[in-house]
Amino acid sequence: MTTQPEASPAKEAFLQRIRQALGRAEPATSPPDHPPLKTNLVRQEEKLRTIRAKVEARRERNAERLAENATKVGWHVHRVETHDEAAAAVAAIAAGLHARNVVRTAEDCFRQADYDGPLRRARAAPIILASGRNRSRDSLKATAFDADLGVTGVSWAIAETASCVIVPRRGVARLASLAPPVYVAIVGIEQILETLDDYFATVRLEHMKGRGHVAAYANFISGPSRTADIEQTLTVGVHGPGVVHMLIVGRE
Amino acid sequence: MAAKAAAFKRSSAVAVRNPKLQQTLHHVVRHFTEARDAAVASEFPPETWEQMRERASSIKLQTLLNLDFYLDMVDRNVRRNGGHVHFAADAAEANRIVLDIAKRNAVKRVIKSKSMVSEEMRLNPTLEAEGIVPVETDLGEYIIQLAKETPFHIIAPAMHKTRQDVSRLFQDWLRSAPTDDIKTLCAIARNALRQQFATADMGVSGANFVVAETGTVVLVTNEGNGRMTTSVPRVHVALAGMERVIPAIEDVALFLRLLPRSATGQRITSYNSFISGPRRASDEDGPEEFHLVLVDNGRLNLLKDERLREALKCIRCGACLNVCPVYQKTGGHAYGWVYPGPIGAIVTPAMNGFARGADLPFASTLCGACKDVCPVKIDIPKLLLDLRPEAARRTGTWAERLLMRRWVDMMRARESLERSSRLARLMQRPLSREGVIRRSRLPLLAAWTQARDFPAVAEKSFARRWRDGLSRAEP
Repeated sequence: MTTQPEASPAKEAFLQRIRQALGRAEPATSPPDHPPLKTNLVRQEEKLRTIRAKVEARRERNAERLAENATKVGWHVHRVETHDEAAAAVAAIAAGLHARNVVRTAEDCFRQADYDGPLRRARAAPIILASGRNRSRDSLKATAFDADLGVTGVSWAIAETASCVIVPRRGVARLASLAPPVYVAIVGIEQILETLDDYFATVRLEHMKGRGHVAAYANFISGPSRTADIEQTLTVGVHGPGVVHMLIVGRE
Repeated sequence: MAAKAAAFKRSSAVAVRNPKLQQTLHHVVRHFTEARDAAVASEFPPETWEQMRERASSIKLQTLLNLDFYLDMVDRNVRRNGGHVHFAADAAEANRIVLDIAKRNAVKRVIKSKSMVSEEMRLNPTLEAEGIVPVETDLGEYIIQLAKETPFHIIAPAMHKTRQDVSRLFQDWLRSAPTDDIKTLCAIARNALRQQFATADMGVSGANFVVAETGTVVLVTNEGNGRMTTSVPRVHVALAGMERVIPAIEDVALFLRLLPRSATGQRITSYNSFISGPRRASDEDGPEEFHLVLVDNGRLNLLKDERLREALKCIRCGACLNVCPVYQKTGGHAYGWVYPGPIGAIVTPAMNGFARGADLPFASTLCGACKDVCPVKIDIPKLLLDLRPEAARRTGTWAERLLMRRWVDMMRARESLERSSRLARLMQRPLSREGVIRRSRLPLLAAWTQARDFPAVAEKSFARRWRDGLSRAEP
């Protein structure tokens, strides 16, 4: 990764005007006192240990809370014991849609069971959405826009807000969870966090450990794409998927 | 210029007499306020919600007081993420920056997700003038763009359009069949916009928050157009008012709890995107270039004023619009610029040096409902009062100014007050009935007198009665 060239004169002038407006002549010498910026790696790791212990102790409770909150905001929630059952559930969803093309990501959950076999038996073609292997940017786009169903794993799920956290990376295209009209998220019970605070504390630790590097993109999906822009009437599926399924895999 | 500077009185009068608009406003505003109240009250005890507002307010204020520090931090971290940062003093400079990026990338079509800053800049006409086609992709904004209007509400831009209006627009522009079904209308827009998403070269978005610590732009959306705009085109430009910054990634949780509940009554919106630079080399998709444009455009006027600074805490939820008895009757267009409602009545004149919205500080009953719902505790009524002296200087008539000067002189000294009272008693005789001066159109002062009855000056002053009473009480 390249760092862009040093600050511009426009920036200096801009910041100088702000200093003047605030009645200061010089840049602040010490950083402002903001506790979340002050923690060190040791303390943040300690915080994360506490969060992990809490999450582990309350797995089933958090899964129930996630399922309950998700249902409220329009997810179709399915609870299954194993990835084989999850694969069967995905195939059943595809069959119900008469889906021809199913795009999926290449991530850990798909190695836990054969997801593609049941899909093929349901007369759907599973396609891994990735830009390598002779696929240009445009053809990835076209494939995603043409798909009837998108299936992905998640990096985390958040029980408080019924959110699936997608962090795009190698094997995880952004469009898999966005372009198709129907979407399935596969959530392992061990991936469920309790609150937004748990999630952002996790990101902070990764950021600290990665010496300031973060993922280019992260996305919370918390229900179907929705709009109320015409007469305040709720309508789903305006740009993103209008039907969303959450498969929670595992039970404690 | 004067007409433009103080146009609210006239435009609001037009809005109030539009029955269709009144009906829509009534319906929509009630929907939003009920949803908000339910979302807040059902989940948090009042004291918890109050603590959250208090904390958010203090974080925003502390950030503003150290804005130079945090903007430098934003700049360094976005560049570390591989993005570019631009600083624009005004709308013209911001437009020039966006145009430069577009031209360098031979951009022909720009897809936009919602950005109020781009409305301030009037970015769309600027792009059009250079032969670049801007397409709004938020459904409400898309409708507004087809209708060639400006947003009516910060978060519900097309709330004043009925399904019939939308159907007619789609018939004209997209050659679709007429329909009364909202689901069908959404599907028509979805299909039309899919083509745009697939072929646009550049995406322009706003920014709900910019996290200094990680150089991350946070977008809060429901439709998915924000994700499309920031994921599909080769270039992504995010426009952010310079006050959008919050310090730490762990602060985001608090603001994500406050914003959607205050705005639409949702616990969270369908999508939240966290954008930290362009796609990494190993990513499957995403934009290859990322630009963040930080815009001043008059915000400095607020920052340098110790009292008005507070208005820059605003997170643009729109809750103050929905509860405002003035907005409830006038709607958004009457305010004449990008930001309507109570917060608009502050930032419009302040950002524009009173060249716009000079009479807006008076567009308030000072009832305080806005202050009660504000998730970052902006004392809106107080700021409106703070702005009124300047607003009065800009918009008052010479007769009012004269009257006010006489009033001040009169109230300054005991003798002058008594002298004036005696004079007033004499002069009001032909006008007053039963202790009241009836409303009438007094020449030059009609605005003060045509709609209210004034209490007449009492025949005997209080001081006089006090003295008389004392003398009677004496043995």
